Amino acid sequence: MIRCEQLKVTFNPGLPSEKKALRGIDLEIPQGEFVTVIGSNGAGKSTLLNAVAGDIPASGGRILFGDKDVTKTPATGRTKEVARVFQDPLAGTCASMTIEENMALAYGRGSRGKLSFALNDKLRKIFREQLSRLNLGLENRLDAEMGLLSGGQRQSVSLLMSALQPSSILLLDEHTAALDPKTAALIMDISAQIIAGKQLTVMMVTHSMRQALDFGSRTLMLHEGKIVFDLAGEDRSNYEISDLLELFAKARGSDEALDDDKLLLGS
Amino acid sequence: MSLFSFLGTLEIGLIFGLVAMGVYLTFRVLDFPDLTVDGSFTLGAAVAATLIVSGVNAYPATFAGCLAGAAAGVVTAWLNLRFNILHLLASILTMTALYTINLRVMGKPNLALITDPTVLTPFEGLGLANIYLKPIFVGVWVIVVGVLFALFLKTQYGLAMRAVGANKRMAQANGIVVKEKVYVGLALSNGLVALAGALFAQTNGFADSTMGIGTIVVGLAAVIVGETLLSSRKMLMIIFSCIVGSILYRLAMGFALNADFLGFNASDLNLITALLVGLALVLPQLRKEWKAKQAAIKANGGDA
Repeated sequence: MIRCEQLKVTFNPGLPSEKKALRGIDLEIPQGEFVTVIGSNGAGKSTLLNAVAGDIPASGGRILFGDKDVTKTPATGRTKEVARVFQDPLAGTCASMTIEENMALAYGRGSRGKLSFALNDKLRKIFREQLSRLNLGLENRLDAEMGLLSGGQRQSVSLLMSALQPSSILLLDEHTAALDPKTAALIMDISAQIIAGKQLTVMMVTHSMRQALDFGSRTLMLHEGKIVFDLAGEDRSNYEISDLLELFAKARGSDEALDDDKLLLGS
Repeated sequence: MSLFSFLGTLEIGLIFGLVAMGVYLTFRVLDFPDLTVDGSFTLGAAVAATLIVSGVNAYPATFAGCLAGAAAGVVTAWLNLRFNILHLLASILTMTALYTINLRVMGKPNLALITDPTVLTPFEGLGLANIYLKPIFVGVWVIVVGVLFALFLKTQYGLAMRAVGANKRMAQANGIVVKEKVYVGLALSNGLVALAGALFAQTNGFADSTMGIGTIVVGLAAVIVGETLLSSRKMLMIIFSCIVGSILYRLAMGFALNADFLGFNASDLNLITALLVGLALVLPQLRKEWKAKQAAIKANGGDA
């Protein structure tokens, strides 16, 4: 479970370039709920995700995982609970290391720093099994360098890596945005499988209205660092993309034309 | 090249294999270009030599030299991590400070070790002539340290260190404490280089305040020469190539200086080093371009 209480994040406080990215977010996501997060550029979606992950420190308010207050815990201290997949397919893996080495790193998440060998045949077997789920033939290329893989393949492996260790929270930051539609669909498929299989609490930031409505059971809309809309249950199932767009327009103020329809309508 | 000078070159090449491992750890694994080594090489030699001269056993003295080098690495890491000083600049600061510290440690610019017992002394009674004993002794040290180092890089901890150098954000997202790895990495790297300094002082019979100048270039040259000749992904092979690179670099240098028809003398050493490193850096690039050209010609049906 994730709980945010009056969560505030301010960049460059006290300077002329001060930016209030989050202006008091109150949010409770029960264990096992899959929430999609939408909003225009600069609304604070990624900041919210990064604050939950611990990459960005909170300037005010609290973040709790279950009953545990993690507001002051750095990102590395939250990795027992939190797994993440980044938007940039290159960000989630090390290009200069092999597939198995990358997976071994993810496998060691939460139990770090031992002087035992990072790889052995037992682990390789686990990795091979996991990779075969992707149907990309990667299970036979364990010792291939990550940098040789395509963006889609790398993102697929990142996704598998996020699920190698038991965690309760999965943060997806537009993790299909940089991929072609076919690969994006494959990645979403695997994501859904992993999430359902592990009963994860998920926050997925997306620019795609379609994804935001098709996946998960609840949709949040952020605008200027605040939650302006929280859709769930019956209401949500009746919503269409056009309704969401209307909400967007309303949030931005009626005089501001929606100039990036294409972006918002994207599959 | 005579056998005598060959064995001498081999011995120095092996010692600088340790430097190459240290440089490999910072430059290649951690992606932290660290020039501290110019100072920590001398520091290892100075601390070990001073302790030996004052009557301490050579083995603890060598170990103390290593620790001093590791401490120098920690200072550089601290300047970089705590105060955000650019890594290159932080290491130059430490290196500059070390020049004075080394003089203070030794009390004078040059310290002779000719008559004092060194790490070699226990083995001198084995009946092996000194010119053979030295390279064999140093070789065993370098190989043992090299194997341990390669194994370390294959552990979870070593893998985490490599991830820190390759992709900080990913490392962090997987629970790796980046700063700790940088501290440990720099300590380890400079500890290795200081060990090389301590061994060098004892096999050559002196420590000198200027002996560390150019250590970083020599180490880098060894890493690059090794990588160019034996490109491998196996950790043991990579470390092995550091050692081989170091020996080959020394041999090439010795050859260049000894070949009369080239007309070089000892003061030309730095220019030759720069040329060799430059060549080793340029060759892989040229080879790549040449291969791309060949591939393009092939793709165009051979008429291009």
